[in-house]
Amino acid sequence: MSTVSVRYIVDDVDAAIAFYRDHLGYLRLVLVAPVPTGHPGGGSRPMPDGTPQRPGGWNRFMIEVPDVAAAAEKLRAAGVRFRNEIVAGVGGKQVMIEDPSGNPVELFEPIRPEARLARQ
Amino acid sequence: MAGDPLDALRLPVVPVDPRPEFATALHRRIEATIEGGADPGGRRDSPTVRYFVDDLELAVAFYCRQLGFEEELRSPPAFAMLYRGGLRLLLSVPGLPGAGAALSDGTVPAAGGWNRITVKVSDLGAALEALSSAGVPVRAGITRGIAVRQALIQDPSGNLVELIEPAEGYHERT
Repeated sequence: MSTVSVRYIVDDVDAAIAFYRDHLGYLRLVLVAPVPTGHPGGGSRPMPDGTPQRPGGWNRFMIEVPDVAAAAEKLRAAGVRFRNEIVAGVGGKQVMIEDPSGNPVELFEPIRPEARLARQ
Repeated sequence: MAGDPLDALRLPVVPVDPRPEFATALHRRIEATIEGGADPGGRRDSPTVRYFVDDLELAVAFYCRQLGFEEELRSPPAFAMLYRGGLRLLLSVPGLPGAGAALSDGTVPAAGGWNRITVKVSDLGAALEALSSAGVPVRAGITRGIAVRQALIQDPSGNLVELIEPAEGYHERT
């Protein structure tokens, strides 16, 4: 099957790699720091109108965890920043953490089978 | 009872601990088999990305018609779940219950930002031409990156989608 790829803009690639190393399963996450116009790495160059690319925003990838409270506690103890408290939605409980550049990552604990990160 | 006379000729049995790297490789292979099996429905742990969109119907139409996603379920007006290959894309509407709800400090999620999903195409020029003639905004035209050619398009809410065409030296884990 083809790899699923997501690009995240980060301020510090090394710090981002250290943050994400242990958390990736099937996802290929491409971490890039903003580069100047004309740089050979094209993914993070400014737009043709000059707008630079920045970390942040709300769109994010998700990681399924069996117990979001336990995962959150562990991450909090490790000094990871949180954007909100655990929220219970229709399909599951979720919480948003931030990588060192402030990009969101969602931890998700499904509370009904069809919400699992797998096609039924 | 006398031992088998052939025992003297047999090689000793030495217990060997499984090497961790072998176990890891085997584990990966088993998972790859599960994932890449003939039945895509048997896939587990689909990589999942959540995008915020202002108009659910417009967004579903965009991703399904223009980019080949399939609609898995829709729960208007707040949520839809789409698939494309191994990627599961969740669409949530800011300000509505669920993932779009305001944070405790009142901050409401929003569409946009620079982080994005990547869609691989075999002919970037043709793909971009078809998309622009369908009225899809192109944020950045074709540029050459490292081992890819790429372009950025926008969904109706302004979220970016990156199109890439592999070039010489392209790599991904298989």
